[in-house]
Amino acid sequence: MTALKLENVNKFFGSVHVLKDINLTVEEGEFVVFVGPSGCGKSTLLRVIAGLEDASSGTVTIGDDVVNTVPPAKRGIAMVFQSYALYPHLTVKDNMGLGLKQEGQPRAVVEERVSKASKMLDLEEYATRRPAELSGGQRQRVAIGRSIVRDPKLFLFDEPLSNLDAALRMNTRVEIAELHRTLSASMIYVTHDQIEAMTLADRIVVLRDGRVEQVGTPMELYNNPANRFVASFLGSPSMNFLERSVPGVPDGQTIGIRPEHLRLAQSGRISGRVTHVERLGGDTNLLVNTDQGETVTVRLFGQDPTEVGDVVRLEFAADDAFYFNEAQERIFEAAA
Amino acid sequence: MAAPSKQKTRWHIAVFLAPAVLVYTAVMIYPLFNTLRLSLYSEIDQERIWVGLQNFRTLFGDAIWSDQFWNALANNGWFFLIHMLVQNPIGIALAAILSSPRLRFSAFYRSAIFIPTILSFVIVGFAWKLILSPIWGIAPGMLDAIGLKFLYQPWLGKEEYALTTLSLVSVWQYVGIPMMLIYAALLSIPDEILEAGECDGITGMAAFWKIKLPLILPSIGIISVLTFVANFNAFDLIYAAQGALAGPDFSTDILGTFMYRTFFGFQLQLGDPHMGSAIASAMFGIILIGVCIYLFGIQRRLRNYQF
Ligand SMILES: Nc1ncnc2c1ncn2[C@@H]1O[C@H](COP(=O)(O)OP(=O)(O)OP(=O)(O)O)[C@@H](O)[C@H]1O
Ligand SMILES: [Mg+2]
Repeated sequence: MTALKLENVNKFFGSVHVLKDINLTVEEGEFVVFVGPSGCGKSTLLRVIAGLEDASSGTVTIGDDVVNTVPPAKRGIAMVFQSYALYPHLTVKDNMGLGLKQEGQPRAVVEERVSKASKMLDLEEYATRRPAELSGGQRQRVAIGRSIVRDPKLFLFDEPLSNLDAALRMNTRVEIAELHRTLSASMIYVTHDQIEAMTLADRIVVLRDGRVEQVGTPMELYNNPANRFVASFLGSPSMNFLERSVPGVPDGQTIGIRPEHLRLAQSGRISGRVTHVERLGGDTNLLVNTDQGETVTVRLFGQDPTEVGDVVRLEFAADDAFYFNEAQERIFEAAA
Repeated sequence: MAAPSKQKTRWHIAVFLAPAVLVYTAVMIYPLFNTLRLSLYSEIDQERIWVGLQNFRTLFGDAIWSDQFWNALANNGWFFLIHMLVQNPIGIALAAILSSPRLRFSAFYRSAIFIPTILSFVIVGFAWKLILSPIWGIAPGMLDAIGLKFLYQPWLGKEEYALTTLSLVSVWQYVGIPMMLIYAALLSIPDEILEAGECDGITGMAAFWKIKLPLILPSIGIISVLTFVANFNAFDLIYAAQGALAGPDFSTDILGTFMYRTFFGFQLQLGDPHMGSAIASAMFGIILIGVCIYLFGIQRRLRNYQF
């Protein structure tokens, strides 16, 4: 069964066309991540799914029901906001229980579900505190707890980790992944952090300017990007795009090579001078200025003695190169 | 190094505080203490002599004075009660309606409701006197037009209605203030909290009672205390509509008009600045007690939420 189906969804704000013909299916139990640059419409799409915005056209189906005109609370979804959006006047317990009480659930059921969620998220000792008395990470867990107690068919997360510091972000990321495994619920997760996307997703949806650029598993997108945008968006350091430095690439085409696919070789096709070296211990990143004036990032495994100013030659395997035409689309029969 | 720079800072503080302190002292602190001082004197044979608390003994002990005082205080209490029960709930309701994003022309309504607040009390008092007048007023005619003529009473002229009527006129004039304050408080509630409520099924009236109202309680507290201070200092509307005798038969007399009559005199009554100051001091005490009850009893229990 599908958890969510979007068909030709469009969204206009006045005359601004924000979502353009979105088609997407999310399977039961799947973890789908929306990524894309700022302003591409990720939050808007999530809000259309939640029912906080109406789609201008197209249908939104959750489970078996078309929900275009169904209010958010009846869609079987729960949303976690970037700013947590906890009710400031209520305790942790009441924050989690308010939705159930509003539904008219008996007190015992509310108590039971809230205490179950508190236990799952290690929030028991904070039950009577108010949001102002919690740390950012604890608030985030309360926000997640509030979504769990409603037992939704579909979880929606809008950049839930962006207000946390790096260490906490990593922990919470792991917690969310665990939560997904224990609840085996469908989740949609918005982020502009590609590491979150790669590590959490069963499938990634790359959005740009309100359009779906590509959908696939993280490795599919990494190994087989449909266009230059997707290729550049995933991977860190990001892919090198060269127009002139590699002999044999026709005019107008661009060759894309991931930094880890380049290696130092005496007889390499690309020659240049090292302008910067980053030693990370496990990896060494070189910035190389080619003779043709383009900059290439090279990622070498382990530690490397190369110094700034060294003249180097670089080589790569033909299989690892991607070719893009002038329209920035991927082309498969390269001339080289 | 630290010590001299500290001293310099002190001079700055004094210099920058001076204008405000001077102005405030000249127009507020000095007159206040002088009034309190004046209430301890009396004038006998055109000479000012110290009488201690004698004026207060007269005010509370002498039946002629104390009857008037308690009458004015009770009227003032009713005046305040009507503002609390009518003005503030209506102000909150209007603000809640105005803050609804679906309402069209909200800027127009907002201004229209706020305009009476900036009108002079003279205009308001006089206009309502004309509107409600049984002879020239439009109120009897309008009620007649919808077949409710029997409801009409000369509201400003009847002892049992006059104070309530004037309170409602005052509510009409000032309802824009709580409306604006609550409106601002409502706008400061982040959309995401309301949207989280929407996902929880808390919409419409439930959103108001369960989310918005608790979050604007601190503003409601501030409005209550502002209303209290304004009501117990009120004078102008009653004076404009009913004169300093606060008719009919003192039924609209509040502390402000009572103090005015006593201080400056009116018609046959001679002015007595010392008794007037005693009343003013009593008013000051009442307001002080009220504000203290609010500050120490209520405000501490209200939480301020920063979003
Ligand atoms: N209420 C609105 N009215 C008009 N335009 C809007 C509205 N909300 C969003 N937009 C526009 O829609 C576009 C997409 O916004 P959206 O918030 O979905 O971006 P996003 O992908 O979530 O970006 P970010 O990563 O910065 O959160 C933006 O160009 C934004 O200006
Ligand atoms: Mg966003």
